[in-house]
Formats: sequence, C-alpha cells, structure tokens
Amino acid sequence: MDKVGIEVKPRPWLEWILWAVWFLAEIFFLQNAIASGKELQSTAATIFWVIFAVLLIAGIVVWIIRSPEKQD
Amino acid sequence: MSDKGKKNLGRRDFLKLAGLGMGAVAATNSSSGDGSPVAKKTAMEKFQDPAGRPKRPWWVKTVDEPTVEINWDEVNRINEQTTTVRGPGLGIHAGADLPGELSEKGAALKKERLEKGTPGWALKDQAIYNAQMWDLRGESYYLGPQTAETPEDMGVPKWEGSPEEASKIIRAAMRHFGAAQVTFMELDDRTRKLMYSHDPDGKELVFEDVEEAYETEEKRVIPNKCKYVIVWSVQMSLETLRRSPTHTACQTTLGAYGRSRRIQGLTQEFLRGLGYQGLGEGSINALGIAPAMAVMSGMGELSRLNRVITPEYGPMVRVFKILTDLPVATDKPIDAGIMDFCRKCKKCAEACPSEALSFEDEPTWETRGGWNNPGHKAWFEDSVKCISYWRTGSGNNCTICFAVCPFSKEDKAWIHDWVNFGIATVPAMDGFFRSMDDAFGYGTQSDPEEWWNLDLPEYGISTDRSVTEA
Repeated sequence: MDKVGIEVKPRPWLEWILWAVWFLAEIFFLQNAIASGKELQSTAATIFWVIFAVLLIAGIVVWIIRSPEKQD
Repeated sequence: MSDKGKKNLGRRDFLKLAGLGMGAVAATNSSSGDGSPVAKKTAMEKFQDPAGRPKRPWWVKTVDEPTVEINWDEVNRINEQTTTVRGPGLGIHAGADLPGELSEKGAALKKERLEKGTPGWALKDQAIYNAQMWDLRGESYYLGPQTAETPEDMGVPKWEGSPEEASKIIRAAMRHFGAAQVTFMELDDRTRKLMYSHDPDGKELVFEDVEEAYETEEKRVIPNKCKYVIVWSVQMSLETLRRSPTHTACQTTLGAYGRSRRIQGLTQEFLRGLGYQGLGEGSINALGIAPAMAVMSGMGELSRLNRVITPEYGPMVRVFKILTDLPVATDKPIDAGIMDFCRKCKKCAEACPSEALSFEDEPTWETRGGWNNPGHKAWFEDSVKCISYWRTGSGNNCTICFAVCPFSKEDKAWIHDWVNFGIATVPAMDGFFRSMDDAFGYGTQSDPEEWWNLDLPEYGISTDRSVTEA
C-alpha cells in the first residue's frame, strides 16, 4: 500500500512581517481618511481613501494569488 | 549646555508613534478626536511635572538659546505707539497722508461689499465682526480689577510655595480661565529689552525700585521685583480662519483678544488673592513684544510670518503676558524644527496678497523699515504693505498667512504628528512636506458662506486638543 504524505509548508517569516506592515498601513490610511473628513479637509480625505482602497485591493489580490490552491 | 536630545523616545512613545493598538480606528470616531499616535489626551489626570509643565511630543527639544539668533547688544526697548504701524507709527513711517487715504479707500470698499453682499463681507459677516470688536475694545487693566480680597484683607499671610508650585497653580488656574498654553520667563538685563518703552496708548513703561506698581497719566511703573513674566496664549478657531481674509474669518482673532482680557483680569485677581501683583496689558498689544516673549519662554519658535508658531497649535494662537512678583519656575526656549522648516516653505509669503512677507531663503539681520525691531535674525516684514492691505483689501486684520501655514492643522488625523515628527528630525524632507501640504489641499480658502452652516464647538475651538500633562 502506497504511503500518502502531507507536507505543511509554513508561511515564511518575512511574509508575516509584510502582512503586518500591510495591516498597519491600512489602519494608518483608514484613520487619516476618516479623521481628514472630520477635519473638513476633503482633498486630503479623498487621497487617503484612494490610497486605502488601492492598498486593500492590492492586498486581496496578492492573498488570492498566493493562496494554497493557486500554488498547486 | 544644550538640553538637546535630553528627551529619549520611550517604548510607549514608540508604540504610540507607530500607531499600534487595536483600538486605533475606534478612537478616530471619538468626539474629542482622541487617537493621535503621539499626544494622547489625558484630561483630568494629575500634574506629574513639579511645575505643571505639559508633556510635549518627544521631538520638541528644550534648548538654552532660541532658534532665532539674537544680538542682544542691538536690541533696544521700543515705543509701541510710534514704532509699530498699528497706530500713529503708520503716519511716521509711511507719510502723514497715508492713514487718511487708506481709511477713505477702506470705507468705500466696505460700503461696496455691504451693498453687493459679497460673501464673507456681507451684513451678517460685518455684524459678527463688529460684535467681536465690542469685546475687543472693552476695559483692560494694567493693575488689575483689584476687587478680590487679599490675604491681608482676610487676616492671613500671603501664599508661600516653591517657584515650581507657583508655576503649577498659575498654570492650573489659567488653563481653567481659558488659556491654551502658559509659559514663564524672567526679565534679566537681556530680556528686559523685550518690554516696550511706551505702551500703545503712549504711556511710558518705567522700571523703578518700588514695592507697589502704580500708574499715572503719563506712565506705568513696574517694580523691579516684578521680574517674572507669565506668557500665555489663547486659541483662534482654525476652521474659522480658513475663510481668511473675510470678516467671517477674522472675527475669531478679535474673539481671542476679547477672551484674553477676561483671562488677564481673572489671573490678576488670582495673583492678588495670593498676595502678589499681576501687571497686565493696559490696552491691546501692550507691555512687551508678545512673539519674542513666547519664543524666550519656550511656547514656540519665530517663523517667516514673524509670529510665533507653537508645536501644539501652529500659529493659531494670540499671545499675551502678565508681569508678577511671585517667583515662578521659568521655561527654556524650544527647537521643534519650525524655524528651519520656514526656510524651505515660504507658503505664507506666496499667499500674502500684499507681498509683505520675505521670500529670502535665510533670515537676515537687516530690517526692512523703522517698524522692525533690529537685533535678531529674522524674515522681516514690510509692515506698511501689510497694514495697507488690512485697510484697503481685507478691511480687517487679514490673517491669510496664519491660515495657509502648514503648521495650522487640526489634531484629528495622525498624519499631522508624523509630518511634525519628520520636520523636526529630517530637515532634508522639508521641501517634500511643503509640496505634500499643497497636494493634499491644506491651506486652501474655504467658502465663507459655508461657515454659517457649521456646527462648531464653543468659540470654534477644541479645548481638549492641547497637551498631555507629563
């Protein structure tokens, strides 16, 4: 009977750091977007919202691309 | 020896600066604007510093000499009435006919704007401006209201305590009276030169070796022992001044002056109640050079717009002073990279409609006219151009330079602390920060009509934005 082995590949530590940086950056830009709105600084708020959205989409895309199913 | 670098970045500060913390976003939604990564508000905590000094961002360094270079041998006490252009000095410096010509043009423009209903200068705007003017022109007392009971009246000895304790209780009282910042300096052979020789009303300010201050028709006498200066600021409304140079905007300046009269009177009565003298401004802008005293007492740094810029409020304050014989713990000047940033920025000079502000890269010793006070290295302004625009352009005190300054920011978005941190620590990026300030739309004029639709807090200011006690 053939043996079936399952290999679990841990996420490299560098990747965890990058995801943490991404998360903190998202918090930073979200805070600035909301707070700039409260400060009635519409241009600044718009720029921060755009950066937040682009970063969010980029993160989602990277997550999907690097998901285990895609790496088979 | 300089105290530069004395404040180290603690672990807690670092965490705050990094914006770490799961409650960060939630904090954004608090009404007080809590959530700054650096200066978390801790209202109702106890003073930790013996003198009640506020904790400032760690990049605000205390230094022995201010960032503005001063040659004290060249500094002399000036006559406020004849040197500055706010009063008769304008005729002296620019010709006797000019004040009349400006008044005539200004009156015509005012009428035209009222008839047209020009936004910001229409009747309701003029009305709120005039209302604030009433407060501004109220009574100020050099010797104080002198109605409060003294310790002698109450049959007890006067208050005694260390200079630190004195500073602390004065800070506590004045913050409660409405002051934004309270700092202290001592008049010595150098800083006494920052006192006017004559007040705006023409009365001579004379130091005498007497016990009690007094005032006559010709002079105000300052006892030599009244050598401690309480320097304090009153906030102006940034959201309001974003409408500069309209009446809608500039009425907040008058409002700050009006509130200062009350704070001054209260403080004078408080000092009297302790058994000490409090000598205030007998009229608006009296006693001494406010920005210079603010710089020497560490409230802020001198800037291109020739006013003080504070780390906490930027230029959005008016500065006042009281002399006292109550010994207090004094404060040192600061360096937060502000004057250095002014070298690159020039946003105020570019925005000034009368081109009164200097475009020079470096501050100079050379003054631009008799209205400037020599002896310090600054970006001297052409005050005649400035006041001419007040009279014939804005019809008020303009304040465009205050409104466009990159340090004029609310405290809600974290980015402002990061930028201020960058300005203080990486001067090479000053030009980049200036460009980003423009790109993000800061300093652009807001619609004066929109102001009437805003639900602003009392006085249009946030009173909990200032400082965390150390």
